[in-house]
Amino acid sequence: MMSANEGLVHVADLTKHYGEVHAVDGISFSVARASVFTLLGPNGAGKTTTLEILEGIRNPDSGKIEFFGHRISHVDRKEKARMGVLLQEGNFEPYLKVKEVLRLFASFFANPLPVEKILDMIALQEKQHAYVKTLSGGQKQRLALGAALINNPDLVFLDEPTTGLDPQARRNIWSIVTNLKTQDKGIILTTHYMEEAEALSDHVCIMDHGKIIAEGSPQELSAQLGQETIIEFTAGEATDDSISLLESGCKAARMDGDQVTVETEDLISTMEHLLAWAKKRDIELKNMVVRQPNLEDVFLSLTGRRIRD
Amino acid sequence: MKAILLVTLERLTTAFRERVTLFWFIIFPMFLLVMLTLIFGNIGKQGQMSFSVALANMETSSGGPADFSALVESIFQEVAKPTEEEEEPLFSLAQPAAGEDKDAFIAREKEAVRLGNLSALIVIGNGFNQDLMGNITGQDSATGSQSTITVYQNQGNTGSEMATSIIAQIISRIDREILAKTGRFDEQKAVPIETDWIGSAEGEVPYVDFLLPGIILMGFFLTGLFGVPESILFARDRQILRRYWVTPLTVPRYIAGFSLGHVALCIVQFFFLYLLGRFAFGASLRFDRIEPVAFLFLSSLTFLAFGFLIASIAKTANAGMAIANILNMPMMFLGGLFFPISGLPPVLKAIVFANPLTYLAEGLRVSLGVETGALSTLLTIVVPLFWIALCLLIASRRLKWDVGR
Repeated sequence: MMSANEGLVHVADLTKHYGEVHAVDGISFSVARASVFTLLGPNGAGKTTTLEILEGIRNPDSGKIEFFGHRISHVDRKEKARMGVLLQEGNFEPYLKVKEVLRLFASFFANPLPVEKILDMIALQEKQHAYVKTLSGGQKQRLALGAALINNPDLVFLDEPTTGLDPQARRNIWSIVTNLKTQDKGIILTTHYMEEAEALSDHVCIMDHGKIIAEGSPQELSAQLGQETIIEFTAGEATDDSISLLESGCKAARMDGDQVTVETEDLISTMEHLLAWAKKRDIELKNMVVRQPNLEDVFLSLTGRRIRD
Repeated sequence: MKAILLVTLERLTTAFRERVTLFWFIIFPMFLLVMLTLIFGNIGKQGQMSFSVALANMETSSGGPADFSALVESIFQEVAKPTEEEEEPLFSLAQPAAGEDKDAFIAREKEAVRLGNLSALIVIGNGFNQDLMGNITGQDSATGSQSTITVYQNQGNTGSEMATSIIAQIISRIDREILAKTGRFDEQKAVPIETDWIGSAEGEVPYVDFLLPGIILMGFFLTGLFGVPESILFARDRQILRRYWVTPLTVPRYIAGFSLGHVALCIVQFFFLYLLGRFAFGASLRFDRIEPVAFLFLSSLTFLAFGFLIASIAKTANAGMAIANILNMPMMFLGGLFFPISGLPPVLKAIVFANPLTYLAEGLRVSLGVETGALSTLLTIVVPLFWIALCLLIASRRLKWDVGR
């Protein structure tokens, strides 16, 4: 048995190529117990391929992988017995009942948790005799999480766990993930949602084109942008030329459609400049928000693109 | 082991909960058994097979004591009489009415044969008596040719062909009797022919006993050809299988559980069909011996292997169903499941002899005593085993168990 401080996963110089495409290009990271480790990045950044290598779905081209203190060439039954995986696009047999699905997955492991305990954990007791095909999206995702946790895993993979879910269902999943962390489990998360990464993560790796371009806690990453404040508003009347004039009173200003983003280190003077700029050009500032930088802004400052572009 | 059993249970329960699966694998074979038995069930039962036949005796000269045409006519009339057990006679016989124009009668009945309303028309030609007498005595016949009875039949019409075959046998028997009576044929020196019936106390095989093994095999066939690739490809494409592969469950253990589930499904199919055949139609087949059970098991595995083969060729579940449909008709109808396959053109016979169903159907029927069997027992085992090996070899190289791998 490993100690509580021992790393669950160490990855060094991991690569995976598909022809000319470098899906994963020499990345390295570690995942500790009782922590949420998040891979963040746009589609095609290499997050899912990285996860699939660690889940045993794909083999890497090269690199060093250590699971639970042991170096391995590929993930096998022994490692799988200690990990739980929630896939991005997995399904269940539509004509199985909730309890039957959990019983089936329990049979794959030597020492599974009681099915009733998992039903409690994912709050699906009332649906235990319902067919999978009758479940809502959120219920299906909770069932998937239950199947991933049936073996009481040390390491949990959550690939886009809340994509497509309504805010309430998303909060339910967050609550379960937070609870897992308190149970000393290591969690590897991928997500598109900045607020999800910020709310859940202890450590974030931002990936782009198969590489890790920045990493740290959400606070550390946001701090890379200094003491910046972000001002956002919509202004249909603004033009690229007028935006360039706005830049003179702030650190940076960008226009994306009718959405304008202004970065500043001196909020009061920038606000004065902004209001004068709008009044002079008769531009109406709608939906104005003043906020601190988030991970999206970090990605934007690093790549010049938004994560969801 | 528990994982294998749970995968088996999953295969079985999902199959029975899905209405489409339930219909095609259980209800449809039962429906077919009921329909075919009701439609064709009378054929083959002693005294209950009946054909409508017309007979025109065109002989104009009375042969006196040697009026062979009248003898032939009377024999067919005798065959057409109801038996003491009040069973339907073999033939219902139509003849020209007194004073009716015989040529017009023949023309009318020929048309009836052509349209399929009459099984056969027997015409005893004019000069038949004299020709036959000439043949017997060695003198020149009246017409200078063999005395003939012409039988008009509708080629391709099963009832017509069966009636003609029976008529030919009756005429052959009459011929033999005439030769024996006139001293031209020694019955004692003839090669003795004995008939030994197998499989029924009455000496006849009821159609349901012939059909039931075929329908059971059809059920197994449909389950393998359609059910196996559909289940695998659906589960693969929807990434149901991928959820399994991120657990310690391995592909060989999944295959073991899936295959056990397939065999279990076949067992359930068998019991539904057997009980229906036995209690609704009086099927008397005995499956409580090792040989028929072994053939059922071999059949189940053969179609499972075909299912894996299709799953390995098709890229999607829809493509799998399309391939299964292409294989379905020629394999099922050229495998002797529902009707005997003798008398097929050579091209179709090539398919018949390449078709594992041919061997499984015959092997099963022979093991049940329904057929005596034209193929050797070894062949009925080896050919399906060859197909199993071939299908599994291809599937093991081509079948992808996960999307994108």
